[in-house]
Amino acid sequence: MKKVININFQGRILPIEEASYETLKQYIQSLRQYFDAEEGRDEIINDIECRIAELCDDRLKKGAVCITEDDMRLIIESIGRPADFEAQDGFEASASTSSSNAKQEQFSDNGNDSQKRLYRDEQNKVIGGVCAGIANYLKLDPLLVRVLWVLLFGISIFAYVLLWIAVPNTSTTQIGSARKRLFRDIDTKVIGGVCAGLSKYFDIRVRYIRLLFLVPSILLVFNWNHFHLFQFWEFDDFPNFIELTFSPSAVFVYIVLWLVLPEAKTTADKLEMRGEKVDINSIKNTIQTDMEGFGKRAQSWGSNMYNKTQKNESQTTTASSNAVPEPAQRGGCLHFAGRSITILFKAFVYFILGIITLSVLAALFGIGIATTGLLPLRRFILEDGAHNWYAYAIIVFFIWVPVVGIVTAIIRKIAGIKKANVWVRGGFWSLWALSWIFIPLFFATLTKSFSKQNEPQEEVYALANAKVNYLEISAQQKLKYYNHYWLKLEPFNFFDSDTVYVRNLRIRIVKATSDSFEVKYVRISNGKTVAEAERLASKINFDLNQQDSSLFLDKGIAINKTDKFRNQHVVMTLAVPVGKRFKITNRAWEQVKVSVNKKGFRSQTGPNIDFALDGDNSDWYNDSDAFDYDYDVEYIMTPTGLERVKGQPSDDDSENPEELKSRLEELKRESEKIENDLKKTWEQKQKEADEIKKQLDKKGDNLNRNSTKKESTVSDNVKAIAFGFDAIKLLVSRFQS
Amino acid sequence: MFCIVLNKSPIFVFQSTDMDIQNTQSQMRKGVLEFCILSIINRGEVYPSDIIDQMKAANLHILEGTLYPLLTRLKNAGLLNYRWVESVSGPPRKYFVMTDAGKEAFSVLLQTWNDMANAVSLLTQSSTPNTEA
Repeated sequence: MKKVININFQGRILPIEEASYETLKQYIQSLRQYFDAEEGRDEIINDIECRIAELCDDRLKKGAVCITEDDMRLIIESIGRPADFEAQDGFEASASTSSSNAKQEQFSDNGNDSQKRLYRDEQNKVIGGVCAGIANYLKLDPLLVRVLWVLLFGISIFAYVLLWIAVPNTSTTQIGSARKRLFRDIDTKVIGGVCAGLSKYFDIRVRYIRLLFLVPSILLVFNWNHFHLFQFWEFDDFPNFIELTFSPSAVFVYIVLWLVLPEAKTTADKLEMRGEKVDINSIKNTIQTDMEGFGKRAQSWGSNMYNKTQKNESQTTTASSNAVPEPAQRGGCLHFAGRSITILFKAFVYFILGIITLSVLAALFGIGIATTGLLPLRRFILEDGAHNWYAYAIIVFFIWVPVVGIVTAIIRKIAGIKKANVWVRGGFWSLWALSWIFIPLFFATLTKSFSKQNEPQEEVYALANAKVNYLEISAQQKLKYYNHYWLKLEPFNFFDSDTVYVRNLRIRIVKATSDSFEVKYVRISNGKTVAEAERLASKINFDLNQQDSSLFLDKGIAINKTDKFRNQHVVMTLAVPVGKRFKITNRAWEQVKVSVNKKGFRSQTGPNIDFALDGDNSDWYNDSDAFDYDYDVEYIMTPTGLERVKGQPSDDDSENPEELKSRLEELKRESEKIENDLKKTWEQKQKEADEIKKQLDKKGDNLNRNSTKKESTVSDNVKAIAFGFDAIKLLVSRFQS
Repeated sequence: MFCIVLNKSPIFVFQSTDMDIQNTQSQMRKGVLEFCILSIINRGEVYPSDIIDQMKAANLHILEGTLYPLLTRLKNAGLLNYRWVESVSGPPRKYFVMTDAGKEAFSVLLQTWNDMANAVSLLTQSSTPNTEA
């Protein structure tokens, strides 16, 4: 029972058996390949198709029900297969020289046993004769090849088995079997045609073979143990999804096959490349017949080896028993060396190009993973609705679309699709372009929701024991969500399921007016409107806990999904009485960084997302003196300001004590001088005043009325001078202290 | 004769002989086959399968698969032309005719062939007794 189909073939309706239809299709395909280089290819094929249709029609007219496989075979034979054309050579004016050259090579092969082609050596084999065959091909000692093989491939017998199956052994050439042979298929090649040839040989789609070779090479890039660049993720829970090691054998196997396999040049080669089907049974048969008497061969090889080594010891000059004449060997070697250099170079270039593409891909992929990993945090920042969608659009279009695009391109390359699909490519590019619309939208809306700020109001926190001499401010060790080398979203410290805690706090240090510590704080928040900012600020729960001399900070400012993160922060003012000590431990708030420069003090503060502030409370931020402290350093408050407690690491930028002393002395001298000057003027003025008094007394009663007036003005003068002197004295005393 | 059908069989492979024979043979066949086909078409309008038949009758075997490319090439060279002829059954068929240039070329080839044939027969006739002796 055979299926018959009707085909419209060159204007004729032909009932044809499905199998013979397949044969016909293959035949025409082979013609197409054969006449590929021909000028009037389509015309020739059209003519031949017409003729086939006519011949089929003749058969049907003679009474045949349909075109059977036999009919088709006869028709094809009468027209001739490409292999026959080549045999009946001399017709092609253009291709005659090249084809005759190819023929010559072929004949020389037959005459001069396996100079060009690789065969498994039936005579000198140990297992399957692969090494012996390669040795024969390269004109090398089989022992050397075997040793190199083991060294290069180790226990990976994949390549050996592959060659064993695919390479015909010498006995087949003598009998002339119709076996399939492994070639490099240069018609559909990407690099060297090895994969294409293998796919033809095993009847597997070429893309699978390419994957087989490519995957180990890709893993080299994706194996993040090799590239510390990609090891940004310190998170244990996160799936370390690709943890496979690169195996170099795939590349070696490819290069070896590239070197060793012949190109399928002639039509005969191409037909042989497809040849008869290779299935498990035929492979099994090959191996079974080859393995007969393996034990014996191994033994004899062993004894041979033994003899050889003994020979080597006795005569070191001509070790190898190679029967090939010297010049031929040298020529073969040179040819092989040149070829292998070009192939290795090509392989290297392809490898580098591949690595670059894959690195870009891996980087994008990493960013994509990271941003997608941040998505849980989105609900603490982004508002629902449009804002959210912008974020999604950016992640999808800006990052994942290029990733998918590059992956698709690679897959298309593997699959051997060379024709570019304009729509797919255009689609990827336009989607990516679309993301550029969303990026400004996203940031515009984001800044808008941070645009307003509440009116800061200072509140007082009552310390349980304010009269301690020493206060240490600290908090528990905070958990890190991200490694600080990557994506620093620092304000998020604790990360529960629906609440994050932000430790967004700055501490000012001022001098207390009383003898007890005081804590005041301001709660500040941003928001879309002032009202919202006020609401968020009022929700900030700032809590402290004092135990003896330790002041513990709360976990942080709680942020949940309804009350989003709008740069809520607290500025805390710690008033330290003169003569008392305090210390702020670094682990309490890493996000407040203080740096000191010579001109003044500047604090690099707060969240990495820095938003514009309204000018209202700029005092809190510009009051740089109050932020002049280092972490983990004990300070003491003096009447002039903060000072490090002795024994504490000193501030690099401050002057050393001796300089300070000399400056103090200078100031003292200066103040003494001023004092002396003042005294002199004071005495002078007093003398003047005395003289005036005397004159007034003399004038006495005569000018009674006028004198009282004058006296009062003079005494006013004296009083003013005395006041100025007092003020200067006070000033001097200040300097001295 | 010169034209021997070559099936791709090892029988024809002269394992020990000089390889130039191959080349010489193919060169000979190439020139002669084109000449043979031109001479058939010169007699009048002809259908390709008729060419095969006529050559077969003259004991010259040629595959259709090699004939069609040859005809196309000669047509592209301007030696041949074709015309579509309606057939009783099925679509019209391509019939080949000689162009003026083709006729000219044929006359030149004929002249060459006659000269060659004379020369070759002379030489081969004189060479036979030599080898026998």
